[in-house]
Amino acid sequence: MSEIKVIFGEGAVELEFDEGLYPKDAVYGAAYVFIDRCWVHLDRAGDKRIKVTLKGKSGSIDGQALAGEFQNEILGQAWRRLIVDDNRQLIESITTRALGGAAGPPGLDELLAMDIGDASAFEDPLGIAMSWEEKYSKKKSSPKPGEEREGAPADAPAATGEGKGA
Amino acid sequence: MIELRFHHELYDGFAVDEAAKTYAEYGAMDLVREDHGYVVRVTLLPEAAAQGIDEPALAAEIANYALGKTIENLTRASAPAAGGAG
Repeated sequence: MSEIKVIFGEGAVELEFDEGLYPKDAVYGAAYVFIDRCWVHLDRAGDKRIKVTLKGKSGSIDGQALAGEFQNEILGQAWRRLIVDDNRQLIESITTRALGGAAGPPGLDELLAMDIGDASAFEDPLGIAMSWEEKYSKKKSSPKPGEEREGAPADAPAATGEGKGA
Repeated sequence: MIELRFHHELYDGFAVDEAAKTYAEYGAMDLVREDHGYVVRVTLLPEAAAQGIDEPALAAEIANYALGKTIENLTRASAPAAGGAG
């Protein structure tokens, strides 16, 4: 049996499609495109075959042109559906990532729910919690009494408060 | 009276019902569920005939509405739920 059967009636065209080649969704998609200019009716024409009847709303119709347009449309719809099915996984993956990014940084509830124990709470491998002085001060023994501090200018005021503005 | 037959594998029963109710002011509708689908018997009301509406056109409009609504219902059912932004 051929995949498409076309019957031209008086003011109407009947087309039959094999559902194995043109899924029901593709038939629906094509029918929806024609619904504004034709009376469209669907029916079963045997097992796994769908009959589409198109009647022109304006009366006289070019049956062959209408049938051809419908066949083109149904082919386009079937092809579009295949592309969507092929790309479904990729689209879902991108959407999931986008939604994950849009969620933003964790909120207070998430931070409170984190498992932070005594052992892990004070680990500081990068030394972030250290003060600047602790981190960068020169490791040198403290100067003996009477010796000048290294790097301190000779005329620098002593740390006792001398030189402070009056 | 015109009898419209909608195959149950191709038409949504709710859509057929809605179509009949939508055009009820123009015609008397008799809905019957049969083995292979839904049957709608349409009889044009005299008031609608006085407005220049003919019975075949009314029946065809009902069929188009039922098909369009069936497709819209199916599309809505298969689409993922859209979350409101903002």
